[in-house]
Amino acid sequence: MNPNDSDASRFRPATADRRGERDLDDLLVHVARGDQGAFETLYDRMVGPVYGVIRKVLRDPSQSEEVAQEVLLEVWRNAARFDPAMGGAATWVTTIAHRRAIDRIRSTTAAARREHRTADVSPPHDEVAEAVEASLDRERVRRCLEGLTEVQRESITLAYYGGNSYRQVAELLNVTLGAIKTRIRDGLIRMRDCLGVS
Amino acid sequence: MRFFRQDLHTLTGAYALDALDSASETARFSRHLSRCQSCAAEVRGFREVATAMAFAATTEAPAAMREQVMTAAARTRQLPPEIRTHARPRRTRGSAPWIPWLSGAVATAAIAVAVFFGFSQAHTQDQLNAARAQSHALAAEQARVEAELTQAREHDQALAQILGAPHVTLLSHSTSKGGVAVVVLDAATRKLVVATSGLPALPAGQVYQLWLIGPVKIVSAGLLPAAQAGVTTPVVATGIVKGDKLGLTVEPAGGSKQPTTTPIVALPLPV
Repeated sequence: MNPNDSDASRFRPATADRRGERDLDDLLVHVARGDQGAFETLYDRMVGPVYGVIRKVLRDPSQSEEVAQEVLLEVWRNAARFDPAMGGAATWVTTIAHRRAIDRIRSTTAAARREHRTADVSPPHDEVAEAVEASLDRERVRRCLEGLTEVQRESITLAYYGGNSYRQVAELLNVTLGAIKTRIRDGLIRMRDCLGVS
Repeated sequence: MRFFRQDLHTLTGAYALDALDSASETARFSRHLSRCQSCAAEVRGFREVATAMAFAATTEAPAAMREQVMTAAARTRQLPPEIRTHARPRRTRGSAPWIPWLSGAVATAAIAVAVFFGFSQAHTQDQLNAARAQSHALAAEQARVEAELTQAREHDQALAQILGAPHVTLLSHSTSKGGVAVVVLDAATRKLVVATSGLPALPAGQVYQLWLIGPVKIVSAGLLPAAQAGVTTPVVATGIVKGDKLGLTVEPAGGSKQPTTTPIVALPLPV
């Protein structure tokens, strides 16, 4: 690890560094000034993770496409509100994407639909298996996920990829609420340390 | 109390994964974050993990999406930077303050208004159904609007009926105080949905009120909801008659029986 790394970047996954986090931040500054060329570059870099994470959560391709479009347009509209002090551009964009996907799920009040969706959640091991691809991102995340205890891994994948609230995760895994909060947090601490070390 | 705080602190993980249980819980935790630096630092670290997980989920998006997003962006006005003061408490409904987080109908209105405004400047109108045929770009816009409106439908049945009608007309008009009113009119059922964007905020004790201004009488169509991020949630008005205009006036809080000020917009409604 680079000894000059600040505390903030110590936890930054190599993923972000490799993709040129700083470039993305700069791009976003240009986007905020209405530079459409910069937006096109940003789009090309971010559309894969944006669409991918939304697909993970929503599953349905056409809904995912809709939400991904909203998210990318929102990035365009709100670029001036991006605050680098709060995290990198990649994090800003993927956070919006994930929240929008969650928002879509939670705004769908039909109970039947929610039950259907919950029942649809594949076992976390499938999530891990799905993630096996040549890409280094996937490889690193997969390896770090595998370093977790089973409950930690299941809690994190059911919450993040499955779009479940921690209460729903507790129900799915039949664990107390207090235990789930702790498992998610402990698991993320391990993930952070695992991803932060090159 | 100590236990309570510790308990709250363990929510950093669930919060970073957007897995808190309700908007109120999220809001409560956001407030906690603004006071707890170590929690905020932990959440930032966890968000980096989430970012890596998003990258690990990278999936090739439909190719057509690119042009649609670029077309929509070219027609969408960007928001100015937020002016922050340190004195202001950083509390935002349901999220950390730096993340734009409109929900449900508000988001729908925001995007719909932005999109509408992009291709229907003051005085222009577009027939949704005609738009599809006009050009590929317009069809893409229409798809976007329809997608947004589909979401709005789920929130409100009255909205659903109008937005789902086969022939609706989009109208938009700037107001004399700035900002724009956007109307989706279903002439067949004589109903409309109206949302606004960028109207100046009113001093306490004043509200915006909608009117159906007809040749014979003027009927209140209700008060505009308070704007969030400059955009008001859609309001439904019914019982439109031939010759009506949709008016908007500034009235004392609670609204008036008849307009007491000059309308800042009066939009003819073709029914």
